[in-house]
Amino acid sequence: MSETTREPEARRLATAARDRVRFEEDALALSDQVYRVARHLVGSREEADDLMQETYARAFRSWRSFTPGTNLRAWLLRILTNLNIDRGRRIQRQPDSQPLEEGDYFLYNRLEESTDGPTDEDRVVQRLSQNDVVEALSEVPHDFRDVIVLVDIGDFTYADAAQILDVPIGTVMSRLHRGRRILKQAMAASAVGGDG
Amino acid sequence: MCNCEECEQWMQPYMDRVLTDAERAEAETHLDECSYCRKRYRFEEHLRQFVRQAVVIEPMPIELKQKLSELRTPLL
Repeated sequence: MSETTREPEARRLATAARDRVRFEEDALALSDQVYRVARHLVGSREEADDLMQETYARAFRSWRSFTPGTNLRAWLLRILTNLNIDRGRRIQRQPDSQPLEEGDYFLYNRLEESTDGPTDEDRVVQRLSQNDVVEALSEVPHDFRDVIVLVDIGDFTYADAAQILDVPIGTVMSRLHRGRRILKQAMAASAVGGDG
Repeated sequence: MCNCEECEQWMQPYMDRVLTDAERAEAETHLDECSYCRKRYRFEEHLRQFVRQAVVIEPMPIELKQKLSELRTPLL
């Protein structure tokens, strides 16, 4: 190979190496945010740690398939949720098999009923403890919990959540709608007792 | 203007800002005039914030962060 043909090739390799380094730095800079979501998607810290390492190993191998300028955090979480499913940590189930849940005002009404004297919104929400929320979230079935974690905790848009979970946007909306209601029922049961 | 039942249905989409302009205006008119729904709307706002704060987890372990860095492609 002559000097003149080697030069563009060397330049191309240098550019690719620079792009890869930048990609890896950008991905690592998002690791705290990805971990935060991962930790809620799986049951334990150990599982989250394993999943994070698998996710980043795969992301670094397939960095060329990421389109610069698109949402890298969503791209990483798409890998993570796919790996989570592949590893069989989750039992896929039909969301429609869930029993019908109460309406959106249910939690407020339950907490208000159980509060003595005059109430305002602040006092009602104070009936809940951190533990009530954490326990309730763990009781929400995976399909519903995933969208709550992504949208309400991870701040993803409906469209990003749909891309990450590889489901239509309408499915994200319906799971979010039902998931929040299931969460509220579980919080009511935890805070007030009874069957919710 | 929507009624309390419709307002309850629209509450979450309203908070997610995905209602149409017309639906949003209807919901806001109802919330202005209905103290029952307004009280529940304020509760829902507090609740979202509370849930977000309640589920804050411990930061990513430093050892894990180190392991992720070690997965990077070695520089030649």
